[in-house]
Amino acid sequence: MGPWLTRGDWLVLIAALLLVPGLYAVYWHGSGQGLEARVWVDGKPWARLDLFREQHLDVPGVLGVSHLEIGGGQVRFTDSPCQNRQCVHTGWLSEGGDVAACLPNRVSVQIMADDPRFDSINF
Amino acid sequence: MTRALPLVLLLVLLLAACSPRPPVYQEQLLTFGTMVDVTLWNVDEKRGQQAVATLARDFDYMHDAWHAWHRGPLGRVNQLLPTGEFFSCPPSIVPLIRRSSELSAASGGLFNPAIGQLIRLWGFASDDPPKGPPPAPEAIRALLAKNPQMSDLELDGIQLRSRNPAVRLDFGAFAKGYAVDRAIEQLRELGIDNAIVNAGGDLRAIGRHGDRPWRVGIRHPRQPGMLAAVDIEGDESVFTSGDYERYFDYDGKRYQHIIDPRSGYPAEGLSSVTVFATQADVADAAATAITVAGPKAADWLPVARALGVTGVMLVDTEGRVQMTPSLRERIYFDVEPRPDVRFSEPL
Repeated sequence: MGPWLTRGDWLVLIAALLLVPGLYAVYWHGSGQGLEARVWVDGKPWARLDLFREQHLDVPGVLGVSHLEIGGGQVRFTDSPCQNRQCVHTGWLSEGGDVAACLPNRVSVQIMADDPRFDSINF
Repeated sequence: MTRALPLVLLLVLLLAACSPRPPVYQEQLLTFGTMVDVTLWNVDEKRGQQAVATLARDFDYMHDAWHAWHRGPLGRVNQLLPTGEFFSCPPSIVPLIRRSSELSAASGGLFNPAIGQLIRLWGFASDDPPKGPPPAPEAIRALLAKNPQMSDLELDGIQLRSRNPAVRLDFGAFAKGYAVDRAIEQLRELGIDNAIVNAGGDLRAIGRHGDRPWRVGIRHPRQPGMLAAVDIEGDESVFTSGDYERYFDYDGKRYQHIIDPRSGYPAEGLSSVTVFATQADVADAAATAITVAGPKAADWLPVARALGVTGVMLVDTEGRVQMTPSLRERIYFDVEPRPDVRFSEPL
């Protein structure tokens, strides 16, 4: 009878165990925190954003340019060519499913999550 | 190797625990002067796209047809009402008049879609909110004195007339709810039984999200993020109306879009009203009527009862929360510190 585990078995086991954290990071967002946001312009998908890549983005809407700030798992409107700037007042979005929109400029942004804490948000 | 099998199996089981994405189809529409968020459960992408395209056409039609001052069916009705003569009412408007007249009567006139002129005077009839200043007090008084009511309308088949030439219909506080009800009907006809239609914070949910209820967040009226969460199962509407949605600030004072038909001025005292009801049109009319009634339970509770709503949560301008006992076990607060909650008498 040989050893309980061969060297090959150990290699397979170690490789499998190393894989688990990687798979966890890629597939498990059980907290409902979003990793990605989608931007729509005039009803059409315009961009997908990595929420952990810090950037400022100019989104051309129907009236002018809406400015988005992204980073640290969050996104917000910092400026928009609308009158009462409700989109800017909405503030940071980080929750899966949460949305903000500049209706006059027809620009909207939504946080995507595989299993968001909320299916829909009343505002 | 065979002895390692249990370990390998265990690892395989661990990986299998990573379930696939839930079959949810979600799409947003910029229509009806707001953002309409449609969520469908267990519907593939193609069927979802087709269903949402159908809803989009319906919403666009309803928005044009039911705008008080556009050149559409309701605009035409508003042009003909001051004549005092009978005219043929466009068929798409008749059910709105009937339904909103019932709800207006039940609310004791606090929900009053006949004050279209007053809403226009304040500038809240257009898609873009006004900047102020508020209108002249004399102009407000003059319109109030004419006392337009839904009961001034006489509807005989599709023949309509107004006994009061001051009546102009503005369904801004009602059409969204009515449209959400039609959208849910449409989805059911398409064989979709698990869905949420959310028109700018006015939602109706049917069915559930697979093996759990639908989870709905209620946004905080004064800060980013959520105030509360609620689970919905079966068929229920939840409408939130807030003074942060459509308003203008002038001289340090906030003027919100809901006009008190008794005073002619924007309603005061509440920053957010959330109403639960089966029908979305009831929830919509009730959210307006309760906002007008104001933060005293003695004022809003009778209105909520008369309209037959199933739950009410209010946040006043000081951040204090009131709710009906029917929501005690259902609302979970999502903020720290948890707000101070006062429970009203039962509905």
